[in-house]
Amino acid sequence: MWSTAREIAPGDTVIAWLTRDLIQPLVVTPGKDLNIRFGYYRHDDLVGVPYGSKVGSRNGKGFIHVLRPTPELWTMALPHRTQILYLADIAFITSHLDIKPGSRVVEAGTGSGSFSHSVARSVGKTGHLWSYEFHELRASKAKEEFTRHGLADIVTLTHRNVCKDGFTVESAADAVFLDLPMPWSAIPQAKKALRKDCLTRICCFSPCIEQVQRTVTALNDAGFTEITMYESLVRPHEVDQVPPMRSVDDACEILKKAEQKREDKRLRQIAATRQNLANKRKREGEADLAEEESHHDTASGKRTKTDEIDDIPQEPISLDRNIAGSSEVADSTKPTAKTTVSKAFPEVRGHTSYLTFACLLPASPEVTVDA
Amino acid sequence: MAEEASTQNKIRSGDTVLLRIPNGDTRSVKVEKDLIVSIGRLGSFSSNELIDHHYGLTFEIVGKNLVVLPPQNIQELEETDATNEHIVGDGSVKPVTPEEMAAMKEAGVHVSDIIKKQIDQHTNFELKTEYSKDKYKKKKEAKYAKVFTTIPPTLFNVCEYWYNKDQGRIRDLRIDALSQMLNLANIRPGGRYLVVDDASGLVVSGVLHRMGGQGRVLTICDVETPPAYPVMTQMNFPPEFKSIMASLNWATCQEDYTPIISTWDVEEDQIRSDKQRIRVNKRRAASDFLQSTREDLFAGEFEALVVASEYDPQSILKRLNKYLGGSCNIVIHSPYAQILSDLQVVMRASAEYLSPALSEVWLRRYQILPGRTHPMMNMSGAGGFILHATKVYDDPSAVPVEAHRRLQAKLATETQKSSDIVPSQQEEGDVAMTDAT
Repeated sequence: MWSTAREIAPGDTVIAWLTRDLIQPLVVTPGKDLNIRFGYYRHDDLVGVPYGSKVGSRNGKGFIHVLRPTPELWTMALPHRTQILYLADIAFITSHLDIKPGSRVVEAGTGSGSFSHSVARSVGKTGHLWSYEFHELRASKAKEEFTRHGLADIVTLTHRNVCKDGFTVESAADAVFLDLPMPWSAIPQAKKALRKDCLTRICCFSPCIEQVQRTVTALNDAGFTEITMYESLVRPHEVDQVPPMRSVDDACEILKKAEQKREDKRLRQIAATRQNLANKRKREGEADLAEEESHHDTASGKRTKTDEIDDIPQEPISLDRNIAGSSEVADSTKPTAKTTVSKAFPEVRGHTSYLTFACLLPASPEVTVDA
Repeated sequence: MAEEASTQNKIRSGDTVLLRIPNGDTRSVKVEKDLIVSIGRLGSFSSNELIDHHYGLTFEIVGKNLVVLPPQNIQELEETDATNEHIVGDGSVKPVTPEEMAAMKEAGVHVSDIIKKQIDQHTNFELKTEYSKDKYKKKKEAKYAKVFTTIPPTLFNVCEYWYNKDQGRIRDLRIDALSQMLNLANIRPGGRYLVVDDASGLVVSGVLHRMGGQGRVLTICDVETPPAYPVMTQMNFPPEFKSIMASLNWATCQEDYTPIISTWDVEEDQIRSDKQRIRVNKRRAASDFLQSTREDLFAGEFEALVVASEYDPQSILKRLNKYLGGSCNIVIHSPYAQILSDLQVVMRASAEYLSPALSEVWLRRYQILPGRTHPMMNMSGAGGFILHATKVYDDPSAVPVEAHRRLQAKLATETQKSSDIVPSQQEEGDVAMTDAT
């Protein structure tokens, strides 16, 4: 499969990690350049660098990480020719089908090769994957990829429609994986491809429940048992550090202060009004010249009219942090350390496919079929 | 290879076999030549009856013998006009009395006849819908049938068995989570891995299962002698699968610590008896093995670190980080998001770890009987959380592209401000790029 050497060599397929959402495969070809948003690189610069290194661009406009390819990275980086399988489904299917070193697996269709790479890794040199793709261009692209990734010995790719023409192997596979629009139509062929000398397994990957129901009927009719169906998802979480949450005690203190402040103001206004009235009466008893002046004092005149002693216009209550005193409260009671929190991403994959599994028991004389 | 695989699909003497009994429970039994296996109410039989049979078959216990049953498929049910409308629990059902039941069992009446008898005495049975009838029969079969199925010792089945038995002992490591860990860690035959497993050996079992006896696994544990890893019992690994594994503990994995055993050596001329010689040789072998295991760890360049531990993952990472190779996958499981969130914050701040990502696993099983497809009424809510990151080698001199752009933009504006010289072609290009992105 891919290089296991510590350092990158010419001809290696490497994964250039630009950002989390921008991951691209690269075949290291001396003489070639890589010119991207994250700077300018020469492939020669990568030769001899240990896998996993951060590499700065020649023009100082950014860096990339060069990673050793894995099937999981390949799933994130591969050129999409079809809808592909992702980690959660691939991992679950691999376990349920008991795919391990030495397993012989049949897969249809190949699609973009996401599942194929993972299976090839898991079965290793002692196992085998027969992969079938009915779309000619996709088949040839996948074949090129498998060869480039050193999988030619592990994966045999055949361009054919297995629903019509069946598989090229008979009684050979430990497990069959069907990712087809009509998996039920390939089940008799799948049964043929499975070994009969031990327990074998099948998985059908279908996004719609109607497909599942038809598949289950077909599996049942073909003699498969232990039919089960699962849905498996990953919920990615984002992690954040937030300041410690404020206590309602703070809110309480702020409210009390605001209320007191308003009350103080009201009392001041009452006092002022009383003073004004007293002044006015005093002035009324004084010279005519002063009387004319008080007519011009519209501001205090208005207030005298509208302000009944107990009914002063209310200011809205505010919890604004800028209110005097609030910062003192926060400072005196709050630790400064931040809290780590996590929550699911706002938008996540809600459905990929239903995974229908079944077993085929060995056809041996020990089982007397006369039901 | 094919032959080997096929023999592994058969029950051998010495295997620990999982059996599924009619009520849905799974039992783990040791199968040893000439030994009697007893499964509670179902009865007992000789181990020899199971040996050399394929895994996955269903047996009925008849007397002390086993009879292989043909595979059962799902029966399509005919829709009828029946509804449960007229069924009332008015006491008109005359159940089979315990005395009658005991008498039937005594006389060796077959379970199907017992159920038939019960149905005959069930006055309302015919009023039931076909679905209800089927459910009733299944319930009775689960209660009385002396039937069991042998479960193949796959990682999936063994994990499910332990999860249902005691999910705390495997730290909530459900099969979907375990599968994702093995894939994220890129476990393959021939790899070199570090494993910290306080989940009863479930992670170690998964890793060994995916390596097929090729490669190297070092586990670090908190006990003096190599840990038992009880989950491995049900995996029935051949010895060569386990031989690629060696264990160190948190003391012996420390480079500046000299394990006391290595200071015990006795000079040749000090050995006085054969007995002592045997003892000294044994000790030497143990010491040499420990030393070579330590050297193996200290050589580093491991391809993955897989952790499901009761210890603080930050402390684990601090100890083992230096042994991880470039592009090494770090995969850590915990039943709690909090622990991994805290770890993620620490890792994010370090240039040694690329893109630490936290995720939760989710799994739902469906009932898929014809005309009765729906998610199971009960599902497991806790499969835990996984943190995955890649170990990378930092290059502090490399400038992030954002910093470069900020610098260029600053330079460009300063040039324009401080002089009337028109910016060069190069700088213009950079400013334009900053604007575009």
